[in-house]
Amino acid sequence: MASRKEEKEQRRQARLEAEQAAAAEQRRKKLLTVVGATVLAAALVLVVLIAVNQSSDEGGGDASSIDAEIPVLPVLDSLPQEGLAVGERSAKVTISEFGDLQCPVCKQFSETVVPDLLAESGPVGAGDARLAFEQFTIIGPQSEDAARAALAASEQGRYWQFIEIFYANQGTENSGYVTDDFLTGIAEAAGVGDIDAWNASRADPKWDAVLARTQSDASKAGFTGTPSVLVSGPGGEKIVGAVPDAGAIEQAVEDVS
Amino acid sequence: MSEQRLRIALAGLAIAGLAIATYLTVVHYDGGDPVCLAGGHGCATVQESDYAKTAGLPVPVIGIFGYLTLLLAAALPGDRGRLLGLFAALIGFGFSIYLTYLELFVIDAICQWCIGSAVVMTLSFVVALLRALRFTGLSSTAAGPLPAAD
Repeated sequence: MASRKEEKEQRRQARLEAEQAAAAEQRRKKLLTVVGATVLAAALVLVVLIAVNQSSDEGGGDASSIDAEIPVLPVLDSLPQEGLAVGERSAKVTISEFGDLQCPVCKQFSETVVPDLLAESGPVGAGDARLAFEQFTIIGPQSEDAARAALAASEQGRYWQFIEIFYANQGTENSGYVTDDFLTGIAEAAGVGDIDAWNASRADPKWDAVLARTQSDASKAGFTGTPSVLVSGPGGEKIVGAVPDAGAIEQAVEDVS
Repeated sequence: MSEQRLRIALAGLAIAGLAIATYLTVVHYDGGDPVCLAGGHGCATVQESDYAKTAGLPVPVIGIFGYLTLLLAAALPGDRGRLLGLFAALIGFGFSIYLTYLELFVIDAICQWCIGSAVVMTLSFVVALLRALRFTGLSSTAAGPLPAAD
């Protein structure tokens, strides 16, 4: 009797275990299916998000849609320009930015630090310093094409407008976006009046010497990257170095005044 | 950690992330620069970079959507809440890795607010994953975890 009862209990136990195992197996299968589908769907959304975010980056470098609506232009138009420098001629201090038009960090510098320097409260806006852009072409041959085009714009007093509009429309480094069409679009947006003269100037080998001198000056200052900043005035020279903020530059202007 | 605690933790993290994303969104539309600790232009540089928008939407706005979804997931009981939390946290965690990579290697500037959000999102992912492992496979929203899931 007892053994029959035990057998019955064992069978019940075995059935219970089998049911539990089946339930666990069902749960595992559902877990794999549902959680797997959730992970896949999330991965898909993530890929789309990143792709769309990446495509935002390709807004620049488009010759057919040059963006000339940049906040710093009115300030630039209100300041005198001579050669490579913007600011009052009477200013004793020169802030020299060694930059490359293809460099994305220089673009950020031009959008965040340069407006602070040009503002009325900044050293250039207040008339304490002039800001010069030295064409330190380190990224590739297209940087030189862009530099010559900017230098040619300087002959028509539109150097800084050219630089700022170039940065606002900058494409991916060495991707081939620096075409004649692109540069002409930038020059027109920058207000270069005589495009024929600008075209003749940018093809002139006279800029070779300017570019070579900048390379040599940068090398003397120990600059290896862009943007790097040198501040010079009656009190001497001060190397502010790579990617400085406006505060560091303003301090250097005070130091060499 | 109990299901209840995981849900509370997820809600807390979602609220913290929501605060960061809301601050950055307000600063964006206000036209100012985010306050960056220890000075520097890192936050402004990141916020003004080409990558600060996705399909015309500022990245912090996407963050607000993400954290609101996590908050909803924390409020939802059962498997629906678990799966929604895992779904949102996976996207948020992956996107945070991508954005941090951009800051370090492409934009070359660090925004402390963005790193803060990335940390919050990473913790949210851990919590959401722990919660997802308690998946029951039962349709009832009140279902608790089976013993096998513990």
